[in-house]
Amino acid sequence: MDTLPLSGYRIIEVCEIWAGPFAGCLLGDLGAQVVKVEAIQRHYRGPLRPTAGRDYPDGQPGERPWNRNANFNALARNKLSVTLDLAHPRGLALLKDLARVSDAVVTNLAGGVPEALGITYESLQAARADIIYLAMPGFGETGPYRRYRSMGMTIDAITGHTALRGYPDEDLSTNSPVHHGDAVAGATAAFAVVAALWHRANTGMGQFIDLAQAEATIPHLGEIYLDWEMNRRNPRRWANRHPSMAPHGCYPCKSGDGPIRDRWITIACPSDQVFARLCQVIGRPDLGRDTSFADLLSRLEHREELDAAIQAWTTTQEAHDAMTLLAAAGVPAGVVLDGGHGLRSDPHLRARGSFELVTHPEAGSFPMAGPPWKLTETQVPTQTPPPCLGEHNGYILSELLGLTGADLQELEAQQVIGTIPLEGSDTGGVRRAQRTRAL
Amino acid sequence: MGEALEGLRVLDLSTGVAGPFCTKLLADYGAAVVKVEPPGGGDPTRQAGPFPNDMPHPEKSGLFLHLNTSKRSVTLDISTPTGQALLKRLLPHFQVVVESFPPGTLAELGLAYAALSAQQPALVLTSISPFGQTGPYRDFPFTENTVFALGGGMYREGLAGREPLKYGGQVGQYFAGALAAVPTLAAALRARFNGQGEWIDVAIMECLAGHPNQLSRGLAHAYSGYVEQRLPPHAPVLPGASAFAIGTYGCKDGYVTLLPLGERMWPNIVALLKMPQLLDDPRFATPKDRAAHQDDFDAIFLPWLAERTRQEVFQAGQAAGLPCAPVYTPADAVADPHFQERGYFVEMEHPVAGRLRYPGAPFRPRASPWRARRAPLLGEHNEEVYCGLLGLDQSDLVKLRGRGVI
Repeated sequence: MDTLPLSGYRIIEVCEIWAGPFAGCLLGDLGAQVVKVEAIQRHYRGPLRPTAGRDYPDGQPGERPWNRNANFNALARNKLSVTLDLAHPRGLALLKDLARVSDAVVTNLAGGVPEALGITYESLQAARADIIYLAMPGFGETGPYRRYRSMGMTIDAITGHTALRGYPDEDLSTNSPVHHGDAVAGATAAFAVVAALWHRANTGMGQFIDLAQAEATIPHLGEIYLDWEMNRRNPRRWANRHPSMAPHGCYPCKSGDGPIRDRWITIACPSDQVFARLCQVIGRPDLGRDTSFADLLSRLEHREELDAAIQAWTTTQEAHDAMTLLAAAGVPAGVVLDGGHGLRSDPHLRARGSFELVTHPEAGSFPMAGPPWKLTETQVPTQTPPPCLGEHNGYILSELLGLTGADLQELEAQQVIGTIPLEGSDTGGVRRAQRTRAL
Repeated sequence: MGEALEGLRVLDLSTGVAGPFCTKLLADYGAAVVKVEPPGGGDPTRQAGPFPNDMPHPEKSGLFLHLNTSKRSVTLDISTPTGQALLKRLLPHFQVVVESFPPGTLAELGLAYAALSAQQPALVLTSISPFGQTGPYRDFPFTENTVFALGGGMYREGLAGREPLKYGGQVGQYFAGALAAVPTLAAALRARFNGQGEWIDVAIMECLAGHPNQLSRGLAHAYSGYVEQRLPPHAPVLPGASAFAIGTYGCKDGYVTLLPLGERMWPNIVALLKMPQLLDDPRFATPKDRAAHQDDFDAIFLPWLAERTRQEVFQAGQAAGLPCAPVYTPADAVADPHFQERGYFVEMEHPVAGRLRYPGAPFRPRASPWRARRAPLLGEHNEEVYCGLLGLDQSDLVKLRGRGVI
């Protein structure tokens, strides 16, 4: 039987929203047992009484909407869920017991929160000397912003990505919100945990890892920082254009059927030769022969004329057909797929089995994206479904940590553990809801 | 203190962005990475720039210098039998090989995974390509914008009524490189313990389809048929919800981005504005009221912002418990007191490009710190690798150079 690369490792995830949970997904994809430590006092599984149905199967929140929420479930594959009220001494003690039998802890709690809860690296290292502990707040462990709150789109802003985006003829306030920093931080955190496991294999030592989401993201924009460094030049906004490729853009195709009617194709010409081939495909060999467009600079200068010619062709084409024709001629082209039906029905991703049918006990059977890589030599089982809240309390607390049925009943009575979230748990936590509304 | 990935040896055949960013992560944390470049021009990113004063030079390309820190460079033409033979002699010295050739290339050169693993069962081969090793798009040419479009992240970005917009820079390729490093290192770790090798197929398109943005929106669509469209600016994300103070806003000297975490943060907004009377204002009493009076809120908020600088809004917002940040350019970020105090940007001296400041550590392992070193000159380590590792001598190198093999 094949062994997945991280089979046998156990990782505790005390994370919310996207960045931390994404790291947990990737580690779980590789076979680690990822245990989400949640709480009935506070969760991010959507409103207790949702009014909008868009995140729920068939638009129905159901009796237990916290187990049927798309935004939560989408980033919870391959994980177990245990609930522990970490503000309760018994909850905290149980977390330490869990840390004792785990290899790593990942947290994206805001700066200061682990200290307030008593779940710092130092306190967990007391439970297990070689524990690996990764903290991934927005700005890191030190520095003037270490307690600052962040979300993906604010990391986008402070790292310089927001300033790169949008239409040049509109101001930045029209930018659609993008949370790319979450994706980068999550991928980086997963790598960091594995790096620490390698280091531990060398030395026997665990360690604390300080990951600032903003600092993980900036390297993904390295060349714009080097342009500032070399030339004291901040980037222009290019939208769908490019300083060293022309034509380069996004063009409308024939309208489609279904809920998404506008169809688009992106095209790029990285060289004069590719431009000539593009002209052949769109039935305008004259443009390819015209010396006014012979080089990059002249094509940049005449971009509106060239874009108009391309658009005159693309609007007569079905997007996927246009892409196939262009690709066959060696012209980079890509249909603008939407993130829902577009991706799931794409022939390439279907051929590669990129989506798996996953059956969830309360949400039903739906396709979910598998790991973002393929281990071609290892038999990788289908992902396990996102866990219900506290679904694995029995397994974690009894089988792993040796508690009895009576212990569990007592813990449930004290609301240290549970499977039904409490009032206020969906709006920042029960204790916050209990505090008087402060100004 | 040692580095995290001591003992890991990587042969890097990749070029461009995704593969080299993957191996940069490995190299900057202590793996010994030998980068194999084509003789003559080397990795094409040596021609990409940016360049000081916009004067192209293969040893001064900002993109190359950033992506290839901490690596050694050898030149090798692996399209020749002699080059392939040298490559085969190099392989046993490495646990990991990373490549980004068009799928099928390695097989044509007699270097398919099956052949490599027959010699080295524990070898980890990571192949990074735009569309993966299999599938109908396998041989499509690509650029950042086309693979990003196919990754599902573009359709929803931009404004209603206008063309969709890609993300900035080359973040799609960087993202794939960062993701590739995870299974690569995990497989190498497994191989240490049980000698099991692996061939990892990373497709940039698939990485983007697995991005949290696509995971979340995609599952919402699978569940309910919800289609995420491009919206007008500052539109509520949910019908009937208010969009107060969510998004990017102009202020006195630039822009700030704010994301209050839902209706429960209305008191935080009021605290930011220092207008307690708004809590009793019937126009804003409930979420429904706030949604109905969005314009009235903007009539208060926008002038408030116009009187304050980015830094003032940032500090006041954080003091009020609001996730917010100024919209920065690189100039702003390198001057920011937080990044300065953390020493985030680091200087490295390069024999041709000179002393330059680079983005620093993506994460800081306390017991095994990041320690990046400058990018290599083209073929800088030919002697160290070919003579030191393979036992060739100087006259061999001269002959190989003469024949264009290195």
